[in-house]
Amino acid sequence: MIIEYYDKLYPESLRKIDKPPSRLYVLGDYKILNQMGIAVIGSRTNTQYGENMCKRFTKNLVEYNLNIISGLAVGIDGIAHKTCLQNSGKTIAVLPSGLENIYPNKHKELVKEIINSGGAIVTEYEANVKADSKKFLERNRIVAGLGVGTLVIEAGNRSGTSVTAKLTSMQGKPVFCIPSSLENNKGKITNELIKKGANLTTDINDILSCYPDIKFYKKKIVKKEVIIDIPQELLNVYKTINDNPKNVNEIAKESNLSISEVNYKITLLQINNAIIELPGQKYVRRTDEIE
Amino acid sequence: MLSKVKSIALNGLEGYLIEIQTDISNGIPEFEIVGLPDMSVKEAKKRIKASIKNSQIEFPNKKILINLAPANVKKGGSSFDLAMAVGILISTGNITNLDINKLATTIFIGELSLDGKINRTNGVLPICIEAKELGIKRVILPKPNANEAAIIKELDIIPIENIKELVKYLNEEINIIPHKIKANNFFTHSINDVDFSDVKGQEDVKRALEIVAAGGHNCLMIGSPGAGKTMLAKRLQTILPDLSIEESIEITKIHSISEELQNDGLITIRPFRTPHHTVPISTMIGGGRIPKPGEISLAHNGILFLDELPEFNGNTLEALREPLENKVIGINRLSGNYIYPCNFILVASMNPCACGYFGNEENECRCTPLERHKYLNKISGPLLDRIDIHIEVKRPKYDKLNSKIKSENSKEIQKRVNIARKIQQERYKKYGIYSNSELSTRLIAEFCTLDKKGEELLEAAFKRLKLSVRAYEKILKVARTIADLEQKENIEYQHIAEAIQYRSLDKKYDN
Repeated sequence: MIIEYYDKLYPESLRKIDKPPSRLYVLGDYKILNQMGIAVIGSRTNTQYGENMCKRFTKNLVEYNLNIISGLAVGIDGIAHKTCLQNSGKTIAVLPSGLENIYPNKHKELVKEIINSGGAIVTEYEANVKADSKKFLERNRIVAGLGVGTLVIEAGNRSGTSVTAKLTSMQGKPVFCIPSSLENNKGKITNELIKKGANLTTDINDILSCYPDIKFYKKKIVKKEVIIDIPQELLNVYKTINDNPKNVNEIAKESNLSISEVNYKITLLQINNAIIELPGQKYVRRTDEIE
Repeated sequence: MLSKVKSIALNGLEGYLIEIQTDISNGIPEFEIVGLPDMSVKEAKKRIKASIKNSQIEFPNKKILINLAPANVKKGGSSFDLAMAVGILISTGNITNLDINKLATTIFIGELSLDGKINRTNGVLPICIEAKELGIKRVILPKPNANEAAIIKELDIIPIENIKELVKYLNEEINIIPHKIKANNFFTHSINDVDFSDVKGQEDVKRALEIVAAGGHNCLMIGSPGAGKTMLAKRLQTILPDLSIEESIEITKIHSISEELQNDGLITIRPFRTPHHTVPISTMIGGGRIPKPGEISLAHNGILFLDELPEFNGNTLEALREPLENKVIGINRLSGNYIYPCNFILVASMNPCACGYFGNEENECRCTPLERHKYLNKISGPLLDRIDIHIEVKRPKYDKLNSKIKSENSKEIQKRVNIARKIQQERYKKYGIYSNSELSTRLIAEFCTLDKKGEELLEAAFKRLKLSVRAYEKILKVARTIADLEQKENIEYQHIAEAIQYRSLDKKYDN
């Protein structure tokens, strides 16, 4: 749908920024544009540290009912969106292109998931516009504008991320930075930003305390084991799998079964959606987080 | 006086008869070889002269002309030395007591040493196979090649040590009993220094390798450095099905022409080739003006192990595509088309990412997702399409290394593999294939049928686990092998379920 500048639905936060977009093209739930959200941004070529931090903070933010706003790029942006969805949060992706030319192509699936879970895809460009380097920078002012603040995970030198951080502070909003090792190339900018006065962020309260007017409520999360009908024959394998990741060898040893038997039962459990495979071919039980 | 002696030359794996015609006449002393000899044949003049002289036989100070007929085919190598020397000795009358009819069915092979000794040459087995077909009865050859030649039982193999002995033999002053071996005796050899029981833990990998061996499937091992990929691959050799004599002769033939034959005689252990990742295309596939077999052919009926697969040159890897499909490689040269067999099991290993530690507990992975993606992308889809089984190799924990529990040894695993192979050979008798890995799409439809339960399972798996389409046929083939290992007539759903576990690259790295 299309939201014009003079429209009532036009997000208030965007009216306040320099050069607000005259019209917005939106897929998904347009109402969440007016809800409170925070931008989580970072490098396209992140490190493992960046990925871990992004997951940790995004999860925390979602727990306090904040929407996550990002740019759908590969790297940190994508991780932020995905983590948000995994924790049943709502997320807004601001595109550097028209809605028909979703960039990057790789994230087309992700776009569908975002819309299905009550999020939104936003852009100021006509449907057939293609992404280019200029639009990446233009897009960043909307990312910064929609959020109440910006959390910078990792940033490369002269990157779009650092531009977004700059725009955020020009809009008078707080910038949160996660400190990084001095040896981390992708951490130089975040450390530099902290030096210049960005908020040093080591846990979620560093972010929340910046908004004294707002009361945050933590979602009540109960880790609940999924109750699935496990067929009788699979029980012996299912019992040995718990929250502690185990590989096939360990499962076979504990359940006293042959590798071939464990292997096929694991496949069946995966199909039943009772267990999850982690990198390194390790398995844990699936748990659902319920409000 | 003119003499005619026979020998056999090789062109690739095929031999053809060469007649060595020697003419000695009066005139200005001269020694010439005609019939398109290359440098190594031309140099034979010097070797022949010295070796005859050093055998206390007078070298004729006359005009010597040797023609290698047919004269329009290029000839190379040092294996004609002996035949040419014999030609000269007959022409000069040093060998007199000759049975012409017997000489017509005799060939001579061997390289001369300056002291009159006869050195070993390459390609003796394929020469003897050809000799049998051409109706040759007697082969006179260097002693070190005798075992290899004696595999062809129909021939009289006369091993000769030096020229003096040869002259005496041909003059019937001494008698040499034809060399005989019992081919079956060779098969008692086994690989003793490595065994699967050396590997502690890693039961899942062992199981996967058992399936690899049973079905002849190509496999890819993915794991962090130090997880034991190379160690496990080396032991795969010990559980492969027993060699038949025919297979063994095929292997020996190839190794014989490529100077790879070491312990003189039949090769009775399946080859295990490990080319380094810097290997050029011509070494991998086979090359040269007269192409020699490459690594893929030397691995025929055995294993080609490519350690650190992504480090190989892209072109070299792509060149493997047709050989993996056709099981033979044709190398085209101006002089003809050379065809070498190359039916091998491809075993490749790679790290899960460039730094090697993705998914590892002890070490943190330093790669960005982009780098990881790039690393995995070095291996092309078409090549991955030819790999049936993916094995994730995890680093074993220290307490496992230390454990005293003896795990299953290779012999026991091999027994099961042999049974499974036999079932396959029986089933595919009419179709000219030997193992499940060779099944074509049409044959998969015929032999890998699923019951309703299996059908449903596979469908659910594709939806839930997001398997890529190329996994479909591989899963069926591997499931067929698992069923064969259990000696089951039909593929059951648990076989399918286990087979799905061996497609890990399709599941998580391929997105």
